[in-house]
Amino acid sequence: MAIAKTRELSESFKASSIRVAFLILVIGVFAMQNPAFINGASILSVIQGMVFVGIAAVFLTILITSGEFDISVGANAALAGTLAAQYVVAGEGVADDRSPWTGLLVGVLVGTIIGLINAFIVLVGNVPSFIATIAMLFIAKSLATYIPGGKPISGYRDSWEAEGIVFRESFFLKNFSIIVLIVIIIVGHILLKRTNFGVVVSSIGSNKEAARTSGTQVKRVKTILFALTGAGAGLAGAVSVFHFGSIYFSLGQGWELTAIAAIVLGGTSLFGGRGSVIGLLFGLALMQTIASGMVAVGIDPWWQTVITGAIVLATLVVDQLRRKVT
Amino acid sequence: MTNKSDFALEMIDISKSFGNTVALSNVDLQVKKGTIHGLIGQNGAGKSTLMKILSGLYPSGTYTGQIIVDGKVAELNSALDAQSIGISIVPQETTVADTLTVAENIMLPEMSRNPLKVYKKSGVVKRASEFLSSYNIPLQPDKLASSLTLAEKQILMIARAIYLQPQVLVLDEPTSSLTGDEIKNLFEVTRTLKSLGITTVFITHKMDEIIELCDSISILRDGKIVCQIDRSGFDVDELVSHMIGRDLGDLYPPQHRVGQDAPVVLKVTDLVVENPRKPGQPLLEPFSFELRQGEILGLGGLVGSGRTEIVKALFGHYKILDGKLEVQGNPIQTRSVSESISHGFGYITEDRKAEGLFFNLAIKQNFTASIIEKLTRASFLQKGEEKSRARVYLETLQVKPQDLDASVSSLSGGNQQKVVLGKSLITDPSILMLDEPTKGVDIASKAEIYKTIVEFAKAGYSVLLISSEFPELLALSHRVIVFSGGRNVGEIASGLENEKELMLMAIGATKS
Repeated sequence: MAIAKTRELSESFKASSIRVAFLILVIGVFAMQNPAFINGASILSVIQGMVFVGIAAVFLTILITSGEFDISVGANAALAGTLAAQYVVAGEGVADDRSPWTGLLVGVLVGTIIGLINAFIVLVGNVPSFIATIAMLFIAKSLATYIPGGKPISGYRDSWEAEGIVFRESFFLKNFSIIVLIVIIIVGHILLKRTNFGVVVSSIGSNKEAARTSGTQVKRVKTILFALTGAGAGLAGAVSVFHFGSIYFSLGQGWELTAIAAIVLGGTSLFGGRGSVIGLLFGLALMQTIASGMVAVGIDPWWQTVITGAIVLATLVVDQLRRKVT
Repeated sequence: MTNKSDFALEMIDISKSFGNTVALSNVDLQVKKGTIHGLIGQNGAGKSTLMKILSGLYPSGTYTGQIIVDGKVAELNSALDAQSIGISIVPQETTVADTLTVAENIMLPEMSRNPLKVYKKSGVVKRASEFLSSYNIPLQPDKLASSLTLAEKQILMIARAIYLQPQVLVLDEPTSSLTGDEIKNLFEVTRTLKSLGITTVFITHKMDEIIELCDSISILRDGKIVCQIDRSGFDVDELVSHMIGRDLGDLYPPQHRVGQDAPVVLKVTDLVVENPRKPGQPLLEPFSFELRQGEILGLGGLVGSGRTEIVKALFGHYKILDGKLEVQGNPIQTRSVSESISHGFGYITEDRKAEGLFFNLAIKQNFTASIIEKLTRASFLQKGEEKSRARVYLETLQVKPQDLDASVSSLSGGNQQKVVLGKSLITDPSILMLDEPTKGVDIASKAEIYKTIVEFAKAGYSVLLISSEFPELLALSHRVIVFSGGRNVGEIASGLENEKELMLMAIGATKS
């Protein structure tokens, strides 16, 4: 048993140490080009840059571990954020506004509903989740554009300003989005690695028949996961409005690719059966460091998407090779 | 009901049909508590249908009869139902979650029932290792399932089933992928279970396993239980006759003579076929044979004896490591399917669902798929030509419906198989290799297929025939080469009367 424990620890240490070493290497390369890359402000900007997509990606990681997919997280965030903003900024003047906190609930609710619709189409309609959620991406994105008439919604925190609460001066409010990310990562990690539910999710992604013969109600578990993924995406959208005080319909654009790249970089198999939320955190950090680093060293922004795409391709190939080995 | 029954499991008067085909008729199966009961029968005898009823896969209502577990009538509508009344079935196919550990796989049912409980790896491993050692199951609980061999996975599935503490454990052909030592190990586990009072139903078609392991057996033939025998009455000869015992002589068309002077069409010398699961390793010991013009040569043996791999190698699917091939006296090679076709080989797969047909296309398109280049002029398909070529086979094979535009997916199994046959015949092969040509086919279509095969040979072509239905093999072939235990163990002459001898050779009970 002691041997098993040691081996387990050493394996997970080996896997994560390779990732950490790689991340340090990347940071080092950028820092050599531009020493200003490692200072408090730019590190904070790296973290802030990955917060929203990160919140949306945590439960997506668990969904992918079960062998399903949700491409609609970005569009879901846009629609949920828009509806949250509309709810909070309801009337003519500041007096009609609702508390910014209530917007978060609206966002989660909208996201959950979208997740449940995805679950219904995939599990009852027997549509592959990849296709079904692409359709949902288009629908949610169009609604998020149409509802506010293609214009940004601002003034989300006007009621607070009227009361004299200064967002930028409250440490808690200023860093609220980072706190949400940390909490959701801890929740996701515990769910996946420290509860029986997590093992059941991995078993479904690994071999659906094995899960079924073990008495697992596969569709019920997947419905919960789609709903959680939707809720996470909705929360991400709402937290974004909360943080910036306004929302534009382009929010969430491209999140699906960033999220998937970060998830796979973190060691989650796109074919299901193996997932890691802590790994996701590393993947996000790497993606964002590269994105910010390229700005810091003055690489043409157009190249950034090329490099993001190349990273996604490389991780997919590595994932496929690893699948063949096991 | 307070008085407990002597029987762990009773299936009473079970009947089930699919359309007009009767799969099971009035089957009675009684299994005494704490015994190992063998359920034997040839392929297609109805074993798997019976087990699907027992596992709840065919829900109650889709068959007639009663299932009684430990004296109580049971209504089974799902796998979960069967589990909850104490029936655990280990299927033939491997269903193991590869990315989980052995311990997690075993405890999965329990974890699935308590999803919100805290998961502690060390705790799960500890409990699994206590469980495994109490049953003498040789598995390491902390190993990843993906690192196990096929045999270990099989044991893992059995462990998972035992962990549910079943009253009746059903093992469906558990030894088909195991080697000698692994089988011994499995038998040890089964005996341990017996000593702990667990009843086992052991499905197999291997005679030696029954004699070594079982306390009693039921023999299933053509959907009926022919007899139930206790250990004291085991006798290989008698068991084999019970398994076979049928008279279907009229089904087969009369054989034509092939003289010793008929020219040799295919000569195979010291052929070594690569084992597709172990690259570089031979599948069988080297073997040789000759196929004459107009001859139907049977390849006999049990499922998994390597017959399919031999013909697939001749058809360019698998690699040939060594040996000589001659067609009409000319040395040839079969490195690809197209090369093989160019030498006149035709192959009909045993798996028409995966490899045989285009299910979304019409009958005529399936017939002509392999000769499509010959039907085009300046790249345009000649629809009239396509129709007339397809019609020939539609009529000679008597496909029902007689409609060239009917979709293949709407046909019965027998008619689909006729289309598979026609699809290959249309390429005009001189050596036709048939792999289980009547699998899942009704009796009327069987007769049509037999007639077509014999007509084909009479016309001066040659046939290599694989079939697990020994009567069919013996009635159609002029002679049968038998494979067992990785080598060619001899040859048997044609004729239904030789079925017993063939069975004995195939199960390795006699030496030739």
